[in-house]
Order: sequence, then C-alpha cells, then structure tokens
Amino acid sequence: MSALSRRRVLFGGAAVSAGALLTACTSNDPGTDAQVKTNSSGDANAAPGTKVVIGFSAPAADHGWIAAITNNAKAQAGAYTDVELKTVEAGADAAAQRAALATLIAQKPTVLVMLPHDGKELNATGLEAMRAGIPVVNLDRAFPSQAAYRLQIKGDNFGMGLAAGDYIGAQLKAKGVSNPIIGEIPGIDSLELTQERTQGFNTALAAYGFKVANRRPAEFTADSGQASATALLQALPKMDALWNHDDDQGIGVLAAIKQANRSEFFMVGGAGSKAAIDAISADNSVLKATVTYSPSMASSAISLARLIGQGKGLNDLVELQVPKQITLASETITKENAAKYAKLGF
Amino acid sequence: MSDPSASAGTATGGDPVLRLTDVVKTFPGVRALDGVQLEVRAGEVHCLLGQNGAGKSTLIKVLAGVHHADSGEISWLGEPFAPVTPQAAMRAGIATIYQELDLVDDLSVAENAFLGHEQSRFGFTRRRSSAASTRQILARLGHPEIPPRRLVKNLPAAGKQIVSMARALSHDARLIVMDEPSAVLAHDEVANLFRIIRELTAQGIAVIYISHRLAEIREIGDRVTVLKDGRTTAANLPARSTPTRELVGRMTGRSMEYVFPPRRPAPEAEPVLVVEGLTRHGEFADATLAVAPGEIVGIAGLVGSGRSELLETIFGARRADSGTVTMDGRRITGVGAAVARGIGMAPEERKSQALLLDEPVYKNMTLASFSGFAHGGFTDTRDERAAALRTADQLELRPRDVDRPARTLSGGNQQKVVVGRWLLGGTKLLLLDEPTRGVDVGARAELYQVIRGLADDGVAVLLVSSEVPEVLGLADRVLVMREGRLVHEAPAEELDEDTVLDLVMAGSLLEGEPA
Amino acid sequence: MIAEAVRAKSPRQIDDGVIRNLGLVGVLIILVIIGIVTRPELYSDPTWVRNNVLTILQQASAIGVVTVGMTFVIIGGGIDLSVGAIIALSGVWATTLATQSYGAAGMIFTALVVGLAVGVVNGVLISYGKLVPFIATLAMLVSARGLAAQISGKQTQVSANATINDIASTKLIGIPLLVWILAAVVAAGWVLLNRTTFGRRTVAVGGNPEAARLAGINVKRHTLMLYALSGICCGIAAIMLTSQATSAQAAMANLYELDAIAAAIIGGTLLSGGRGTIVGALFGVLVFSTITNLFAINNLSTEVQNMVKGGIIVAAVLIQQFRYRSLTQLLKR
Repeated sequence: MSALSRRRVLFGGAAVSAGALLTACTSNDPGTDAQVKTNSSGDANAAPGTKVVIGFSAPAADHGWIAAITNNAKAQAGAYTDVELKTVEAGADAAAQRAALATLIAQKPTVLVMLPHDGKELNATGLEAMRAGIPVVNLDRAFPSQAAYRLQIKGDNFGMGLAAGDYIGAQLKAKGVSNPIIGEIPGIDSLELTQERTQGFNTALAAYGFKVANRRPAEFTADSGQASATALLQALPKMDALWNHDDDQGIGVLAAIKQANRSEFFMVGGAGSKAAIDAISADNSVLKATVTYSPSMASSAISLARLIGQGKGLNDLVELQVPKQITLASETITKENAAKYAKLGF
Repeated sequence: MSDPSASAGTATGGDPVLRLTDVVKTFPGVRALDGVQLEVRAGEVHCLLGQNGAGKSTLIKVLAGVHHADSGEISWLGEPFAPVTPQAAMRAGIATIYQELDLVDDLSVAENAFLGHEQSRFGFTRRRSSAASTRQILARLGHPEIPPRRLVKNLPAAGKQIVSMARALSHDARLIVMDEPSAVLAHDEVANLFRIIRELTAQGIAVIYISHRLAEIREIGDRVTVLKDGRTTAANLPARSTPTRELVGRMTGRSMEYVFPPRRPAPEAEPVLVVEGLTRHGEFADATLAVAPGEIVGIAGLVGSGRSELLETIFGARRADSGTVTMDGRRITGVGAAVARGIGMAPEERKSQALLLDEPVYKNMTLASFSGFAHGGFTDTRDERAAALRTADQLELRPRDVDRPARTLSGGNQQKVVVGRWLLGGTKLLLLDEPTRGVDVGARAELYQVIRGLADDGVAVLLVSSEVPEVLGLADRVLVMREGRLVHEAPAEELDEDTVLDLVMAGSLLEGEPA
Repeated sequence: MIAEAVRAKSPRQIDDGVIRNLGLVGVLIILVIIGIVTRPELYSDPTWVRNNVLTILQQASAIGVVTVGMTFVIIGGGIDLSVGAIIALSGVWATTLATQSYGAAGMIFTALVVGLAVGVVNGVLISYGKLVPFIATLAMLVSARGLAAQISGKQTQVSANATINDIASTKLIGIPLLVWILAAVVAAGWVLLNRTTFGRRTVAVGGNPEAARLAGINVKRHTLMLYALSGICCGIAAIMLTSQATSAQAAMANLYELDAIAAAIIGGTLLSGGRGTIVGALFGVLVFSTITNLFAINNLSTEVQNMVKGGIIVAAVLIQQFRYRSLTQLLKR
C-alpha cells in the first residue's frame, strides 16, 4: 500500500469511528421496569373512555435513552384498557421514518405520537397528519412549524445545567465556601445539547458569583469519562464541586475519582440513570445529586395523547383541553428524594 | 573500431532535423551513454540497433526529456535542444511511443490523444472539438474506423498503438521515436504499421525506429545507426544493403574483453537439479534441463524469452502449470522447499527483489539463514556478523564493513551480498538471473571469479544472461532460449557469439540477409 | 581480525535510532518546562509532581500497549485500523453477565482470546484473502464495533468484578500496576523486535516482502502472526481500560487506531514498513499523554490540543525525512 493511501486512513477512520460515538449516550439497566403512571381511581380521567388508537414512531434504538422511550410508550399504553398502540419502526434515517409514518397515517389513528429523527425533516409529515385530522404529539425534537403538532413535550438541556449549577451553588453557599473550585465534565463538546447544558450551568453559577475552574470534555463513554476525570483531577489538586453532564460517562468519572483516592468534593450527575440514583441514595460516593433529562416523557406523551383523543383536558388545569407545549423541568435528585425517583431511573 | 563518419549514400535526401554529437549520460556506477552520434533527416526512417544495455532506452529518454544529457550537443531543427520535461520535448515536436504504451486505459481515445494539452475553454474540456480533431488525425493515420469516444481499454494492442501515434500527431510532431513498436503486434498488424510509417514519412515526418528484428529494419528502414556499450559504433549505414554479418559485428564488437576464469574439466557427477517438461502458459513451455554439482549452466536469451520466469519457477516462486522440478530427487513445490533443499537465487532486480536496502550488510547476508544462527528463537547477531564478515572476505566485499546499510554499496558489491546470502546458507544450487546487470565492467571480472570459485567448490550454478559473451565465457554448458522454448544446447567451447546471437534472434537475423 | 571488526560496531547504526529518540525526549522536556512555567504553583509540590508523572504514565498505559502491537504491524508493512474496535469487542465480551460469572480469570481469558481471534481473522483476510490491510481492517473496524454493540445491546456494561476493577488502582512499589503492564509489554516488544528471529522476519517482510519471500521466509504466515500479535495487545488493553472505567461498551477506545498510528509514526516508524522502534513508539505515546496533561492543567480547550497534536505529527515526520535525506547524502560522500 502506498504511503498516500495509508494516510487517508486517518480521515476515513475518523469518519467511521465518529458514527460509533453516539451509540451509548446513557446507560439502561436491562432489568429496569418501564416508567408507567397508574392513575388513582378517584381521577375522572382514569375511567375508561372512548377507544383511542395511538400511532407511535421513534428511531430504532441506537442507544439506551431511545430504547427507554419506546419501552415507556409501550408500557404506558398497556396500562390503559381504552388505548391501542400501533408502533412502526422508524428505521435508520429521516427518509425511512417518513415512509413508515405515511403508512401509519393511512391507517387513520386517533392520535400520532412521534420522536422524529430530525424535527425539520419530518415537519412536512407532521403537517400532513394534522391536515388529515390526526393530532400529532411531538416528543423532544421540535418541529419548526407550529401547525405541525398539537402537543410538544420535551426535555430541557439549558434547564439541566441550570439545575446542576443551582444545586452546586446552594450547597457551596450553605457550606460557606467563598471562592470555590468547580470542575465540569461535559459530553461531546461539539453537540448543541452539550453547549446548552454548559450555558445553563454557567448562568446558574454566575448568580452565586462562581465560575468553572476547569472543563474537560468526554465522549459520553465510560472510558473517555475516566480519562477526562483523571486529567481534571490532576489539574485541580483540590476541588469543591464537580458537574458531570452524563451519568453513563459518570461510571468512568466515579472510577477515576476512586482510583485517584479523592473525596474532598461532591459531584452532580446528569440524565438520571438508575445506577446514579442508586448511588445517590446509598450515599457512599462523592455523587450527591443528579439532574434529570428523563425518557419518562414518552409515558406522559401516551397519557396526554389519550386525553387528546378523548377530548379531555388535564384535571388540575382550568382549560378544557391539554396544553400545546410542555417542557419538562429538569429535576434534581438527591438522597432525600431518591426513593421517589428510583422507579424513574433508566 | 567505431567510425561514425562512415556515412553511406542514403535513400532519402531530406535535410537533417536532429543531430547528436558526443552525447554522454552517466548514472551512478554506469556510463549509459558514452559518446553517441546520431543524425536524423526529415522524412526518413532511421533505425537504431544495439544489444540489451547498449544505451538505446537511455538515448530515447534523453530525446524525450526524461533524462538530461551530461555533456555533448543536441541540435533540433538547427537550434540547440535540451528538453527539461517530456512536455517540453512534445511541444518542440518530438514524440515518443514507448514499448509499454503510456495510455490511460479508462480515458477515451480522444482524451488520450490530447492528454496533457486538452482543448479547453475556461477550464472546461471541449469534448466536441477534441473528438473532431481526433477523428481527423485518425483518418490521417488511415484508421477512421476508431471511434474517438471509445475507452482505450476496449481497443486491441494495435489500436492502442494507433492512439499513441495520434497523440504524437496531435502535437504536430516532426519526429516520432518508436521503441520496438512491432513487439506487441501480430504479423498483419505490422504491415499496417509500416503503411502508416510510410504515410508519415511521406508527409516529411522523421521516424526513429528501434527493433531487434532485422527483417523489419530491412523492410522499413532507410539508414541504421548501431550502438554498443553506450557508443555509436556505426552511423548511417544503408538499411537495405548492409550485410547482416557487418551489423552483428558492429553490435557485438568488443570495446573491452572480459577476463573469464579458466574452466576446469567438470567432474562426472549425477545432476542435483533435474527439470522436466516445465511449462507456464504464455511464458515458457516444456523446459527440460539438468545441472550437476560443480557445473555452470548458462541460459542465453533475450528479455521476454521466458528465461527469468523459468528461473523463478524452478525456485518455486512461480507455480508451474505442468512439469516437475526435483532437487536431489525431491520435488520442489515452493520457495520454502527450495531453500530447505539448498537452492538459492539471486534475482534480476537486486534492489526490489533481494535487498533490504536500509538494513546492514550482515543482516542482508543472513536473511536466508538467521534462524540457523539463532538459539531458541533469539538471534545471535554476534555470530551472524562474524560469519558475514568471513563470507565478505571470501567474496572480497568492499568496503569490508558488514554494518554499513546495503544501500551504500556499489552494484557489484550488492550482488556479492546476495551471493553471500546463499553461501552462508550452505546452498548447493545457485540460480543467477542477470548477475552482472548494473555492475560496472571492472567489478564484473571479480564476480566471474566468485561464481567460478563457487562451482569449483561443488556448487551447481544455473545462470541467465542477455549478454551472450558472458554466458559463453562463464558457463560450461549453454542453453539457448527463444520465445519460451529451449532451442539449443551445447558445451560453451563449441559455440561462438555470432552463432548464439543467430539462435537467440533466429527468425529475424537470418531471414534478414540481404538478397 | 574478524573478531575485532565484529566488536567495533559501526557508529551509524546506533546513531539513527538514538538521535530520533533523543529528539522525542527533547520534546517531552520542552512540554514539562512549559508546564512548570505556566503552572509553577503545581510544580512546586513534589507530591503533585510525582503523582503527575505516574498519572501521565498510567493514562498512556492502555494506548501504549496497543501502540506496541501497531508498531509491529506497521514495521511489517501493514496497518491495523481495527485496534479500537477490537478493544471494544474484547471489553464488551469480557464484561457480559455470562463472562463475569467466570470471575476475573474468565474475563481476562475472554478478552485475550477475542483479541487474538479478531487479529487472526484480520491476518487471514490480508495474507490469504489478499485484501489490502487498509480495507480488511477498516471492514473489521466497522463490523467489530457492530458486533460489540449487538452483544452489549448498546449499553454500558458495568464490571462487578472487584479484582478486575482493582487492577487500575493497585500499586506495586508505589507504581501503578497498569504502568508495570505497559513496561512489561514494551520490554517484551523490544526484545521480540530486536533480539528474536520473529523481529528479524518482521523487518524483512516489511522492508522488502519480495526479498523476504525469495529468501525462504513464509511472508503470509508471518503477516498473519503480526495481526494476531496486534489483536492480543488489544485484548490486554481492553482489560486495562475496562478496569480503569470499571465498565465496557461498544463505543469505548474511540479513535485509538489514530492515536496508535500517530504515536508509532512520530516514534520513527516508517509507514511504508521495514523500519521502526518500540522505544520511539513509547515516547510517541508519552508525548501525546503529556500534551493532554499539559492542556488539562492549563484548562485549554481540547480543540486546540488536537491541533497541536496534528502539528507535532507533521513536524516529527518532516524532521525525520530531513534527517534521513541528509544522512543518506552524508553517506554518499
């Protein structure tokens, strides 16, 4: 082989490996139960109503979080006697999902729930379904057109950073640390969601007059988390607090902390994996809290789709219909409330 | 002996377009051109004759701008001429058609014809006008039937040659150099080639024609210039009337006599190597030969006669289609078996096939035997170096330094390293392919001594060379190979150079005798 | 007379390799000096400095082991793009619940066997299937990661085995076990390359495969063995990484192939084969590991870090070409 063609390896290899990067953003313990909300019997909305056929489409599970989305949707639908769930695999890309959705729309479901590959690329499909009289519930990845959905329910990346920053700020203030050294381990730095999380984090810290002392991005994998954390710990011989964006890479971060024999600081996680929640409630490591970005949104989407299909509103709201936009608050899980969240861990 | 001014009357009387005077070109260790005289006139077919290594290829490349002459004068159309690049030569009107046609298989006929000077406007190729121009040129060559848009890979060999000529004409070439153009052609295609050449010369274009086939030279050539050892030994001989004996004499006449070591009467011994009916389709057929210990057997043949392929097949480096090779009664099926049975080979391309150029001499010498020096898989470089040094002394390697990278040695000493490799391995049969290629004249005699010395020590040697004197002087017994077949066998003493040359080039030389 | 000449080893031979390694040591020293100048308060603490050196070595250990295997493959005239993928597959296979039930020995055995097996497949495809190494190992990169994802269900597999997890935190005579493993692999690699017939064959096969073949060396079998060796190194690295991260997943050891190739090259290994040094490759890995450390202690972005790494690769190769040219010119005189 010529030297030239070998040199191309460097680029070709990079492209291929980049594809493998995103395979496991978050962990998913195989044994975990799905996140299902069972309505209490006193709730008027719990009573079986008119039969609702819900069409559901999400990308094929390319990592644990997506797998949890699909599992949750199926489990939540199973909890209702008046809901029939029709799922179609969305395939590998937006085009495949469009094709799958076209056949689904032709079957005239009462409501359509979808997590699109890409909000922009499936905007037209959303419009088409809405025009055909099928309300669309969009999960997590927004359509640009307001007319393309009836309800959008999504997580909050900026809010995650905000929540983590708030928790760290409040804790340090309570301890009376005036000039704290704060570390941050984001995920893949070039992703928009990472940048939003970091912006939220910095915004919250600024309110306390704090800032990040060192920031070492990882790649959402445990081994990269270990490497980044090792470098960070070496750079900051003394640290007060650490936010790690992702509980999956957090496995490696925690390993690195243990290997370096460090314990003078506390750590906040991100996403809300079951392992992280268990560690928080056990309270035997530096991990004291994690901020959620939960796939439970899929369960809620099914519940709300059922209400939309039956023309019902949310009981506690004055309005007679389900709202159009719901952004989930990023919740902070600590030892105190960990038990409550245990079943939401994925 | 050389007499460049021996100019005879010529058939064509055009003005000289190209004149070379005392052109010299040296490469490290080789004086490839050593005073070449050449005069080519407009509208003539000027033939270049010479043995392999006489300097024909180098001369062509100097004219084509690939190599640059060290000294001497070249004048082209009355002006001093020193092309810096092939493009410059092309632009000046000298086109070269190489033996391996340098066409791009996946481009069309038109694209090939205008390769390097595409007709374009604002960077976009003008396909329509290129095609039209190409069609015109092809018509001029008498081949209007070749579609300009056809991919070159879909043309037969003769068609490709037409495209090469079309390329030459697309440059408005005034001189076309053809390096063995008939080698790739069938008989009737050669006739067509000659028709085209005649049409070109009728238009005043000069042609330098190189061929081994004397019959062709007689038919198409006007004048002949003969090269030998990089020198012009005869210039401007009339192509049709010069006797064959004279042409051959000018080709082979020695400017220097090699000193060959004396032969000893070969001991009557059973052959170690026996080859029977060995065949590789398209390369050689039905080769049968035997070599005894202490005997040097030489194979004489031209490049492309199948001799190197035969040697490599005996060594197991190529798989035979049929026939057998046995060494000491055991079948040889692959290189591993050959080496294990005591066969060694010094291949034709020393640098690309035999040497680790950046590694020290001793590691090159022990390449086939380092495992034997090793203890439990651990190499013993101390023993290796000592043994290599002993062999270096035996072969009189210079400089006497086995740690020096092989790259830094001269050609002759590199060859000694390769021979030494097999001596260290205790080789019983040595296969030598062009052992003195790239070795300067002085070092050759030494190599001949080394090879004869090996034979005297009981090693069987099978040697291939395109230098007939070398085969005759060194070998005990000579096999002549032509077009894949062993056509003659005789003790070396019973042969002379002319006879062997006749046999090697049979079908051309003798047929080419003037009427 | 012969004995004398044998003893008087030509200086040229030693110079080439030593000078190259000295150059890399120089780069390391410069990097450390930059660290001292930019973060004097850290470097004033001897405990921190000691810790930092061990950290750099420890973070270089897994990739260092991979680079030793890669160096052999490149010297032998090949390339292995699949090392990261082999680590991922070995790591994932070694941490399935089924494998973990066999304990630490079972996990280590699995990682090594999987690495060896994948390496053998690479070798067979290249030697006997006559695939270009680039293509064969590129295909292996994709498919081994795919198989790893399949086995793991794309999830992070946590190692529950305390013995495995403790490898990363164990120290012997104050030095991390991972660093000892690296030292052992480098030492073994050096001996293998410079003192054994295997190493001699590697140089011959990579330097001039035709010459090696015509000298009776079984080039195909040796090429196969080189990829198998690289596979075993990946298996060892998989255990090391799994221990460090206390888990394995299909995306682990991302882009390790690039880091290993780059380290081998700046260590003086010729990408076209036939020449290279194990010690140089080790220094190459240490240079990268030290750069990562330097950028971390100065809180500089990883983007700039990658640009600097790229610059060092180019500079190292340019310097080598220059030196090689001037060396050959010197010898010609």
